[in-house]
Order: sequence, then structure tokens, then C-alpha cells
Amino acid sequence: MVELLLLSRLQFALTVAFHFLFVPLTLGLALLVAGMETVYYKNKDETWRKMADFWGRIFKINFAIGLVTGLAMTFQFGTNWGAYSEFMGDVFGPPLAVEALLAFFLEGTFFGAWIFLDRNRQKLKAFSMWMVALGTNISALWIITANGFMQNPVGYEMAVDGSKVIMTDFIALLTNSYVWYMLVHTLLSAYLLTAFLIMGICAYHFLKKNNNEVFRKSFSIAVIVALVTAVMLPVLGHGYAQYVVEIQPAKGAAMDAVWETGSSVPMYLIQVPDASTGSNSIELLGIPGFASFLYTGSFSGTITGLNQLPQDELPPVGMVFWSFKLMTMLGFLFIAEALAGLYLQKSGKLYMSDKYLKLLMWSIPLPYIAITAGWIVAEVGRQPWIVYGLLKTANGISSVPISDVLVSILLISGFYLALIVFEIYLIKKTVVNAIGVE
Amino acid sequence: MLDFLTRDMLAVIWFFLWCVIWGVYFIVDSFSLGAGLLTPFIAADKVQRIQIQKSVGPFWGGNEVWLILAAGGTFAAFPLVFSKMFTFLYLPMMLLLIGLIARGISVEYLHKDDSPKIQNVLMWGWFVGSLLISLVLGVAFANFFKGLEIAAGGVYEGTLLGLFGPYALIGGILFVLISVTSGALWIKVKTEGALATKAGDTAKKSTIVVLVLSLVYLAYSFVGIEGFTANYSATPVLYALPAIAVIAPILAVVFAKQEKAFMAFCCNLGTILFIVESGLVSIYPNMLKSSVALEYGIDVFEAASSQMTLSIMLGGALVFVPIVILYQLWVYTLFKEKIKETEQVDY
Ligand code: HDD
Ligand code: HEM
Ligand code: HEM
Repeated sequence: MVELLLLSRLQFALTVAFHFLFVPLTLGLALLVAGMETVYYKNKDETWRKMADFWGRIFKINFAIGLVTGLAMTFQFGTNWGAYSEFMGDVFGPPLAVEALLAFFLEGTFFGAWIFLDRNRQKLKAFSMWMVALGTNISALWIITANGFMQNPVGYEMAVDGSKVIMTDFIALLTNSYVWYMLVHTLLSAYLLTAFLIMGICAYHFLKKNNNEVFRKSFSIAVIVALVTAVMLPVLGHGYAQYVVEIQPAKGAAMDAVWETGSSVPMYLIQVPDASTGSNSIELLGIPGFASFLYTGSFSGTITGLNQLPQDELPPVGMVFWSFKLMTMLGFLFIAEALAGLYLQKSGKLYMSDKYLKLLMWSIPLPYIAITAGWIVAEVGRQPWIVYGLLKTANGISSVPISDVLVSILLISGFYLALIVFEIYLIKKTVVNAIGVE
Repeated sequence: MLDFLTRDMLAVIWFFLWCVIWGVYFIVDSFSLGAGLLTPFIAADKVQRIQIQKSVGPFWGGNEVWLILAAGGTFAAFPLVFSKMFTFLYLPMMLLLIGLIARGISVEYLHKDDSPKIQNVLMWGWFVGSLLISLVLGVAFANFFKGLEIAAGGVYEGTLLGLFGPYALIGGILFVLISVTSGALWIKVKTEGALATKAGDTAKKSTIVVLVLSLVYLAYSFVGIEGFTANYSATPVLYALPAIAVIAPILAVVFAKQEKAFMAFCCNLGTILFIVESGLVSIYPNMLKSSVALEYGIDVFEAASSQMTLSIMLGGALVFVPIVILYQLWVYTLFKEKIKETEQVDY
């Protein structure tokens, strides 16, 4: 049983993390390419057509994988999380079905139209891309509605026999504050990732002294998006963190590894939590009261420590803690990079700043890492619950033969590995040869 | 919302919608599956391959969403069925998934790289993906009609090998060949030149095979499958469904012979729809029929969600399904010209 649980979790974590490598870029690029298509339709300026072609091609390559890996997610709820599906179906089913009806049909249908419409039907082409952008962004809302319920159940009652949740208020499901914190944060991080990817690719071409109009224009759009989203993420993330502490105290305490309840809790710049002793093995450079301030809004606020919470309901502290640290550290790095980019561009030094351009190139993976880390905080931090306070993860799995799960993990991992190698190859080729730009 | 409907009434309505959604999926995906199955054999060169790719490229993605809707709709309306169906058929579902991934990636990436080697791999990826999808779905649905080995207490006793009995194999092969026929006729309708001629010739033969197989399959269902006829005896009008499922493939053969490809295409879709629906009505009120003993099956009322969930979703479906159908049809009209041989663009 334990192995089955472990394997099922591993498989889910692998496949969802993989799906989410492609989703953020889709969310961001869809909007940008739609904008480019529209500008080109309005002003018939060839630069904008080339921009739409180039970024559109990257979008196509990325979107295809996002689409097929999403299917794996839907399937797995039935194959590996059968008990969870029976428990949650009444609540989880509707958002998922509505997502298909409202979002997937739009994106699936108009993605095909956008690819195959040629430039002499530019108005329709631009319209199709807007529909794709609309579809993808609505899709995020619905899936996060489902996740929001898992983090903070609302608008439901338990069935008489306690076997499942029954929806009593659909509106409450949608107005769940958790959903909106999560949605805004996720969308912002997706736009940030898109902006950094664009900046990184432009940087590559600037380094090769290919200061093409296409890349210069793209860079100036991306750097603004990067700055705005990079600043908003910590600002809003701070409010989000306070909210999470309130809803899920154990996750909250794990994010900053606060072991003992106390007021005026300091924040340590260097800190290593040790779950075996229930304390931090290293605590250096404390800022007095800062953790209290971040979590409660007041320097003297009280935080409930992990040792004072029910011990059998604690998440793996180390994983949550380090993921949270990684995400927030990267968050501040992104602000610095975006500011530097704006400054260099405005002062006209950008194209000569080789070091900065190299840094940007190497920064392309960082938002991916930050996003995965953020999800680990959200999902691992919720453990041992799969639906917070209602259903334990251990009770959510399907009883299928372990060998079946093992086979499927191997099959899927092998397949995914091939997919990602191929996609990176295609994107790299598109970028290096600047296909669509010449 | 829709408070005048009881949960049981909604459950029945959703069973009906469930049958419709699966039916639509089988229809709309059949020609893209068929195109994938046929490409390695009828596309003489890259030009013809691009013709085929262009004939299904704008549509397959939107069509596949019907499958997601069918899965999501099952999850929402009948969570118990969703869970059991995927759990019992764990490995076949994984094969289906791999097929869906392989197909999707191959179609999208077919000509993203110039290397003929990679294009060749992707063409075969498209073929294998389409084969897995149509075969697994055909086998799975035949098993649903026949009944899964569900014993007392909902315990599943089936094995992987047990799913591939003669009836299920005929179902699987039938669905593969129906898809081939759909694809051939679609290519004939949508393209010009040597490719269209070859596709038309293929369809002339495959419609005959489909006719024979459909007859065998239907006869087997009615004679050899336990419990299949119960609903038909109780409500004889239902015999209209298999009757159409017999007439449609006959007409398809005739139209294909007369080179009326579009009519033959429509008739072939009719064959798919009515064979699927003939099976689905036979299992009601079960959704997962048990081949061990009928009372061990999972029925519509046991599996259905709450009144509120079912009614909200019914409202949603009544509003949005027509909208979806309208804009999907509109996209078909955007690409109504026949695809010529000279066009040489990479997609
Ligand atoms: C580029 C990506 C990125 C960056 C720079 C940040 N985040 Fe984040 N964060 C995410 C990307 C992300 C995410 C992947 O999108 C998550 C996962 C779930 C969610 O809603 O967003 C997330 C989750 C997440 C959670 C967990 C919520 C939960 O358990 O449901 C908190 C508390 C924060 N973030 C707070 C912050 C703070 C205070 C940041 C300040 C620097 C920050 N995030 C930067
Ligand atoms: C919003 C849609 C999502 C839903 C509905 C969802 C749902 C789930 C479910 C059902 C599980 C399995 C049970 C468990 O182990 O707790 C899970 C686990 C997990 N998810 Fe999510 N997830 C979503 C998004 C994501 C994303 C985008 C990521 C990562 C990029 C992610 C990362 C994880 C990880 C790492 C686990 C494993 C946690 C563990 O088992 O310790 N999730 N999620
Ligand atoms: C674990 C839960 C999840 C499930 C069951 C799921 C399901 C799916 C499915 C079935 C598709 C394919 C749609 C198509 O064929 O058009 C898809 C694509 C997509 N999903 Fe997910 N998804 C999950 C997590 C997420 C999350 C957390 C987000 C966003 C916040 C998201 C956003 C998207 C987007 C934008 C697409 C389309 C874009 C693309 O192809 O890259 N998904 N998802």
C-alpha cells in the first residue's frame, strides 16, 4: 500500500509538473502573439508580421505539448486517484467539464484555424489567436477553481455516510478567495516567465550582433512586462502568504520553518530546518520580528509553530521550506534583472552589455524553477491532505496493481523525455536560424 | 436552477447526453484518425503528405476536445463510473493516453523539421498513435457492451488478456477500419489530384469491408452477448438504431462506388454513430455492465452526482454545446476549398 501511494504521488507530481512546464508560456505568448497579429492587421508593418511569425512559431511548438500532456492529467484522476475522484466528483467534475466546454473548445478549435489561415485573411487570423488566448486564460480559472477547493473547501456538505462531498453552492466555489489569490499569482508568474523567455532569446541575438528590429521591439515589450510582473509577484505574494497562513497554519509555519509558537518572530537570512529534532539546526542573521510582520502584518504578531500543531498533520517541512525560499529569492533576482534591463535599454547600452545579455540567456530556466517551486509549496505543503481537512492523500488512490503503476510511470517518463528533447531541439533551431524573421 | 427536475430525472437526461457526447466524439475524430492510419500507405511523397496534413490539420485539435468533454462529463455527472472505468482499464487507458500523445505531437510537428528521417518517424508516430486510439477505444467499448468482470461488492476480476476476447477484437478492428474509411472519404472530398483518386479507390474497398464487419458485429451483439436484447424487447422502437446501423454502411458502399464521396462519408459517419448508440442503449440502466451477474453492474442512479451538480451542468451544456457546435462548423466553412497539389508550405 505504501509503495502504491508513493508511486501514485510520484507519477502525479511528475506529470503535472511536466504539464506546467508548457502551460505558463502558452498563457503568456498567446496574449502577446494575439497582440502582434492585431497590430500587423492594423498597420501592415512587416516588422510586426515577422514578430507574430517568429513568436507564433515558438508558441505552436510549445502549445502542442501543453495540449497533449493535459490529457494525461485528466486521465490520471480516474486511473490513479479513483477514490479521490469518487469523493470529489460532485465538486471537481463541474469545473473540469466547464473548462472543456468554455476553454478547451475555444483554444483547440481556433488554434487550428490560426495556424492554417494565411496572411490574406489577417483579420480572421488575429481573431482566432484572440480566441486561443481567451480560451487558455479561462482554462486557468477553472482548473484553479478545482485546486482552490482542495486547498480551502467551501460551498459543500458531506454526504450522510461521509463518503463524498456534495456541492451546495456553486457561486461559493467560484468566489473562494483562495481561487483568486492563486489565479492572479499563477497568471502573473506565467507572464513573467514569458517575458524572461523573450528577453533571453532577444539577448542571444543581440550577442550575435543581430540587432534586428524584430528583437529590439520584442525586447522593449518584454522588459516592461517583466518589470511589472516581477514587482507585483512579491507585493501580492505577500498578501497571499498571509492568507495561506490563516487557512493552512501548518503549511504557513513550514514555509518559514517556524517551530515554536511565539510573537515577534525573527526571520533568519541563513536557516536550516531539521525535522528530526523539530528545530532549526542553523539560525544566523535574524531580522527581529520580520517573520511576524510578513505573516501577520505586525512586527509583534503571533505565529503558531509547527511543534504546537497536530503532529500527524504536518507536511514535509524541508521540502516546503526550501521551495519557498527558492521561489522568493528568485523573485527578488527577477526584479533586479528587469530593472537593469530597463535601465540599460533606456541608456542605450543594452546591445554592448555582453555580461548582462549572457545573464539573461542563462536566466531563461529560472522562472520555470520558481514556478515549480511555488507549486511544490502549494501542493506538498497541503500534505497529508489531498482535500484540506477532508480527505487524506493516502485515502485518495485507486487500488490498482503496483506493477501497472510502475509500467505507466516508466512508459510516460520515457515518452516525456523524448518529447522535451525534441521540443528543445525545435525551439533552439527556430531561435538560432531565426526562422520567420528573415 | 432547473429545480423541477429530480436527481433521477437528471441522471437519465445525463445518460442521454453522455451517449450523445461519446457519439459525437467517435464521429468527429474518425476522419483524423483515418488520415493518420492512411498517410504512410497512400501519400506518395511530401507534397501529398502535406495535402493530407492540411485536410485535417485545422480540425483535429478541436475535435479531440470532444473526448476531453466526454471524460470530464463522465467525471462530473457520474464520478463513480469515471473512477471505475479508468481504474479497471488502467493499462488500456495508459495505451490510449500514449496514443493520444503520439498522435497529437506527430500531427503538429510533422513538418517542423526538414530532415526526411524525422518526418518519416513522425509519420509513423501519427500512424501508431491513430492505431492505438482507434483500437483501444473500439476494444474498450465492445467490452462495455459485453460487460466487465465485476463481481460482488464491485470487485474487478478482469485481466488485461481477458479484455481481448473475439467480440472485443471485432469491435476494435471494426473501429479501426471505419476510421480508415472515414479518412479515405474525407481525403477524397477535401483534396485534388492523384491523392484524391487513390483515396477514392481505397474507400471503395474499405466500405465493403466495413459493411461485412458491421453485420458480423451487430449479429454477434444480438445473438452472442448476454443481456444485449433486454432493452430492445422492452422497447421495440429501439430497433431503429441497429436498423440504421445496417442501412448506413450499405448506402456507403453504393455512394462510394458512384464516386459520391461526400454522401458516402456521411453514411459512414452514420454507421459509427448508430453502432455506438445501439450498444449504449443496450446497457441502460447500467453504465458499467457486469458480465458476472447483471446486478453487480454500476447503474446510472447509483453513479450520478447530486441534483445541484447535474442541473448546473445541464444548464451549462444546453447553453454552450450549441455555441461550440456553431463555431466549430464555422471553422469548417473557413477551410472549404479543396487542397491542391501545388501548395508547398510547411506546417
Ligand atoms: C515566477 C514565478 C514566481 C515568483 C517569482 C513568485 N511566485 Fe509564488 N508561486 C508561484 C510562482 C511564483 C506559482 C508557481 O505560480 C504558485 C504555485 C501556486 C500558486 O498559486 O502560484 C506560487 C505559490 C506561492 C505560495 C503558495 C500558495 C499556496 O500554498 O497555495 C505563496 C505563499 C507564494 N507563492 C508567495 C510568493 C511570494 C511572497 C513571492 C515573492 C517573491 C513569490 N511568491 C514569488
Ligand atoms: C490547479 C490544478 C491542480 C490540481 C487540481 C492538482 C491536484 C493534485 C492532486 C490530486 C495531487 C495528488 C495528491 C497528492 O499527492 O497530494 C497533487 C499532487 C501534487 N501536485 Fe498538484 N494539482 C494541480 C496543479 C499542480 C501544478 C501545476 C503542479 C506543479 C507544477 C503541481 C504539483 C504537485 C506536486 C509536486 C504534487 C505531489 C505532492 C505530494 O504528493 O507530496 N500541482 N496535485
Ligand atoms: C491537474 C490538473 C490539470 C488538468 C486535469 C488539466 C487538463 C488539461 C487538458 C485536458 C488540456 C488539453 C486541452 C486541449 O486539448 O485543448 C490542458 C491544457 C491546458 N491547461 Fe491544463 N490541466 C491541469 C493543470 C493546469 C493548470 C494548473 C493550469 C493553469 C493554471 C492549466 C492550464 C492549461 C492551459 C493554459 C492549457 C492549454 C494550453 C497548452 O496546450 O499549453 N492546466 N490541461
